[in-house]
Amino acid sequence: MTAPRLLRSGRVLVGAALILLVALCALFAPLLARHDPGDQDLLSILLPPAWEHGGDAAFPLGTDSLGRDELARLLFGARLALIVAITAACGAALLGAVLAHIAGYFGGFVDWLIGRAVEVWMSFPPVILSLILMVGLGTGADKVVLAIVLVDWTRFCRVLRAEVLVTTRRDYVAAARLAGFTHLQTLTREILPATLPLLITLLSLEMGIAVIVEAVLSFVGLGVSADQAAWGQMIADARTSFAQAPWTLLVPMAAIFLTVTGFNLLGDGLRRTLDVRLGAARSA
Amino acid sequence: MIRRVSFSLAPGRILGVVGESGAGKSMIGRAIAQALPAGFAITGGTLHLGGEDLVHLTPARRRALLVRDIAFVPQEPMTALNPAMTIGAQFSEHLKRLGIASRRKRRERALQLLDEVHLPDGAALLRRYPHQLSGGMCQRVLIALAFAGRPRLVVADEPTTALDVTIQARIVQLIAELQRHEGTSVLFITHDLRLASRICDEIIVLYAGRAVERGPAASLLATPAHPYTRCLQLAAPAMTGSRRTLFALPDRMPGLAALADMRGCRFAPRCPVAEADCRTVDPPDRTTGQSRIVACLHSDNTAGIEPPNHAIVPPANAGDTLLRLDHAGKRFRIGGRPFRRSSAMWAVRDTTFEIGAGEFVGLVGESGSGKSTLARLVMGLERASTGRIVLGGRDITRASPADARHRLHWAQMVFQDPQSALNPRRLIGDIVTQVLQAGRRPVDRAQRMERGCELLAEVGLGGEMLDRYPAQLSGGQRQRVNIARALCAVPRLLVADEIVSGLDVSVQAQLLALLQRLRAERGIALLFISHDLSVVRHLCSRVLVMHHGAIVEQGPTEDVFASSRHPYTRRLLAAVPPDDPVTEWQPFPDEVELAATPAADPPRAAAAAPSR
Amino acid sequence: MTTILLLLGRRVLMAVPILLTVSILLFVALRLLPVDPAAMSMPPNATIEDVEAKRREMGLDKPLPVQYAIWLRDALHGDFGRSIQLRRDAAHLVTTALPATLQLALGAMLIASALGLGGGLLLFHVRGRPAEALGDLGTTVLLSVPEFLWALLFILLFGVLLPVLPFIGQLGPQFSVASVTGFLLLDTLLAGQPDAFVSALTHLALPATALGIAFSPAIMRVLRSSLLDVYQEDYIRQARLRGIGEWRILVMHALPNAILPTLTLMGVQFGFLFGGTLLVEVIYSYPGLGNLMVDAVRNADLPIIQTVGLTYCIVVLLIGMAVDALVLILNPRLRGA
Repeated sequence: MTAPRLLRSGRVLVGAALILLVALCALFAPLLARHDPGDQDLLSILLPPAWEHGGDAAFPLGTDSLGRDELARLLFGARLALIVAITAACGAALLGAVLAHIAGYFGGFVDWLIGRAVEVWMSFPPVILSLILMVGLGTGADKVVLAIVLVDWTRFCRVLRAEVLVTTRRDYVAAARLAGFTHLQTLTREILPATLPLLITLLSLEMGIAVIVEAVLSFVGLGVSADQAAWGQMIADARTSFAQAPWTLLVPMAAIFLTVTGFNLLGDGLRRTLDVRLGAARSA
Repeated sequence: MIRRVSFSLAPGRILGVVGESGAGKSMIGRAIAQALPAGFAITGGTLHLGGEDLVHLTPARRRALLVRDIAFVPQEPMTALNPAMTIGAQFSEHLKRLGIASRRKRRERALQLLDEVHLPDGAALLRRYPHQLSGGMCQRVLIALAFAGRPRLVVADEPTTALDVTIQARIVQLIAELQRHEGTSVLFITHDLRLASRICDEIIVLYAGRAVERGPAASLLATPAHPYTRCLQLAAPAMTGSRRTLFALPDRMPGLAALADMRGCRFAPRCPVAEADCRTVDPPDRTTGQSRIVACLHSDNTAGIEPPNHAIVPPANAGDTLLRLDHAGKRFRIGGRPFRRSSAMWAVRDTTFEIGAGEFVGLVGESGSGKSTLARLVMGLERASTGRIVLGGRDITRASPADARHRLHWAQMVFQDPQSALNPRRLIGDIVTQVLQAGRRPVDRAQRMERGCELLAEVGLGGEMLDRYPAQLSGGQRQRVNIARALCAVPRLLVADEIVSGLDVSVQAQLLALLQRLRAERGIALLFISHDLSVVRHLCSRVLVMHHGAIVEQGPTEDVFASSRHPYTRRLLAAVPPDDPVTEWQPFPDEVELAATPAADPPRAAAAAPSR
Repeated sequence: MTTILLLLGRRVLMAVPILLTVSILLFVALRLLPVDPAAMSMPPNATIEDVEAKRREMGLDKPLPVQYAIWLRDALHGDFGRSIQLRRDAAHLVTTALPATLQLALGAMLIASALGLGGGLLLFHVRGRPAEALGDLGTTVLLSVPEFLWALLFILLFGVLLPVLPFIGQLGPQFSVASVTGFLLLDTLLAGQPDAFVSALTHLALPATALGIAFSPAIMRVLRSSLLDVYQEDYIRQARLRGIGEWRILVMHALPNAILPTLTLMGVQFGFLFGGTLLVEVIYSYPGLGNLMVDAVRNADLPIIQTVGLTYCIVVLLIGMAVDALVLILNPRLRGA
């Protein structure tokens, strides 16, 4: 019923197209890149993009200060970004949504406990909490995912709990109980369908946030190991050379911006089409 | 949408505009203020106030008129005052625009106005915020603001719909009192024909945007000339005399979209005395005796409309005890969170009553009196704090899962708000057969749809509804679905919480007829919760009166209504305008309303919509 | 007034268990670390026995709850341990770095509020016109640019392309200002060095703007949608029916009500914003908590990580309380209950 409406939303289309583009780049990275992202060519360092004066067609987007191909690093970085974004967002959504439904539906002490946990979590700025977690967990893509899940489940929990609470107060939920539905049946058949649009919207926005967090952690040097291509890593590397070679900075920045915009447009479009209440849920 | 509505209102008179929802009565008020909702416009005709054209006004002149000459009393008093400003600040703002420059004078005038609307302790009130006031007090403040500039015209749009019955009566009288005192003209918009006839000099009846009848209030109610007016009158249950069957108009008023290609009289498709030409000829306004104007080709037929003449089946004597409450009570903790001190309030206290098989019992009281909590106790949606609840021979006080399985086939509930009671994402067919889907062994879909069809037929809906969503149904249809769902488990008792309160009289009459049929055919018992005494009188053989969580009086309906022993019951009864327009109507004085501290609502009730 | 103080007092009391829980979480999270603080604080040629002795001395052989109790006792006496790397008192390091971060955060909040509230009003003003769709799209795109991208972009724009503003540190190298309050903008004025004040201000301009601009679109959206909601309310229609002009309705009737949800959101946003200072500080080599934290993290300097982490939490809780107090003062509903 909603599928045709979704396709008529410009935001959903543009957002999905951007993400599809990034996904294709990530998927076919080994075919599209002419160099290995780790290959250092010390004879051709800080080459400008191919179309600029002094550019080399072998390095379409130029090279960094170690002579690594920017395009290759960008494409392989997209792999990492998308994998982290999707798994981390799904993990955070699962954890947050389960807790939100339990808290909002059963209320009472469970609700109180989960509410306090969210409050404690919210008193940590997300960046700080993820840094501390990374110190404890060590580097690696899986650790980045785990850190994002452990930090960002509260975003889902907070917003969804309010929605669950509103839905639980509806008379149709009481009617389902009177008809003999078990708690699980009531949750899955009466409440989840009402909260699902919001959950999907938040999921899309969270993927954008996860891309940013992954970049930030790699930038600080706590994400993946230094030899793995990551957009944050590229930015960190470019900090020594951006005065002579601004493209080394601009290329990964543009990649992050386009991917995050894609997820945000998709999320925003979904929110409008699925018509769910949503305050400003945002920010890394 | 509104067509051919003409009226003139003499200074110092009250004109009532009466119609069911969708008749376009609110549009008239909005047109006067030039504040029509988007997509509506005045496309023809004229609108004058004392010789000044209201349709073609400059914005500045319009605002000037609104400050001084035209005032409005709103429908929802609780939300019509700015929550961030004190009452004093709102008076001051308005009085300043009326040209009172000195702060001291504004205060004096505000106090005087509050006194005129019988609000005591005005000085303290001026420092209060709207949320600290009850609905009735807010409406008094708004009336005081409306009359502050001694306007020439006051438009009151359903000013009492959102208020409790006892307060409603006083607000209506207050408007009439101020109107007499100031010599203002009042346009009184309402859905209640009986109420309008009490305070208005003249009444216009609207149907689907068309004025169908207009005339002096008393004679209009005594001898309706238009079939629709007559039907409205016959659809409302009476407070006195023998119980008669209600006249249930079939179908419902055509919507905006249907109006465009309708020919002839808009009422013709539902009219019991329509003739062939009614469907082709748009009836002109005709004047019939006593300055009455009727838009009907065959108004002589109107007097021939009689209620279905089969006398109402007298409520059968109750059979064996079905439900018994023994000193049942429910206490809520307010602000109850772990590790925090909390206060408690009794939403229901020490309640004892019985319902026999096949018996219809009414439960009346104002909002916040604990009626809904009592229903939820019976249904196990809340657990009793004290006492015992026995249903069908089993003690279900503890509300255990086994109790719930037992209750399933003994009692079911019909909820107040059909909007909230039907999951908007599920098909009607799935909703009504919910009981068959529950548990470990759900029945397969084909069988459920078969049962769904039977159930819908039983409540008078067609099988084609099975594949629709609740949003595609009208309010009355949704309430029927609501009843059908409750019937699926074949219960012996229905608990119905204000199920007709939001509906128009003609739809209400249809539903009441349905409930009576269910009793006759299935011997079902009913606990009928309502604030409307006339409906309870019509339907129920016994009545329970609830006040501040306790049942203050109970007994056979006729006895309680004829000779009530508790003052609260008498107050409730006095608030209903008498059937006969000539009888004196003397509701209780203000002191009772203002002295009554508003009961603290239980947590759930506070979140739910206020009952009308 | 007394009710406000009472409610605020309760809010402060509520913060205590939160802080305790936060400190326990921090403590446990950092003990999971595969690093041995004892070994790290010893010279490389220390023997295993020496390290063991050091472990005992540092109390690391005791069970975790006991270790925590010792830490808590010391912390309540103002002793947060010593930096393993810098060999300085952790409390001292934090109090020196905190004012710079607070100054940056306050500047950013000011910019975020100005841009957010102004933008929100503008978005509300163009409602129902073609510009509305543009504004909507604009905020979506703005929301996709996190603070660290703004920070990098500003360096490219105003540091490299149009070199008009400094982007390293918080003061020109030619100045030296005595630290009195720790807040550089105040100290330069107190020391009577207007040139240094200007230098400090220009150094603050890029980081504060980068941070502020990143958090403004969320505020814009909430103010706009709150205003749209408020304009649906009966009291606005009733005010119009009383002949009150549109301007007065906006200022006197709509804004006081619409600002409440906006403020509540700003409280949450400013908490995030305070965390955002970390990245901006790292990018602009701004000597605040963020650089302290990142250095500590890279060197696994546990006492510093713990103390700085706790400091961030305390400031976020304080921001929350300040906003709550403001909402309480402005909202008669909460007060009069």
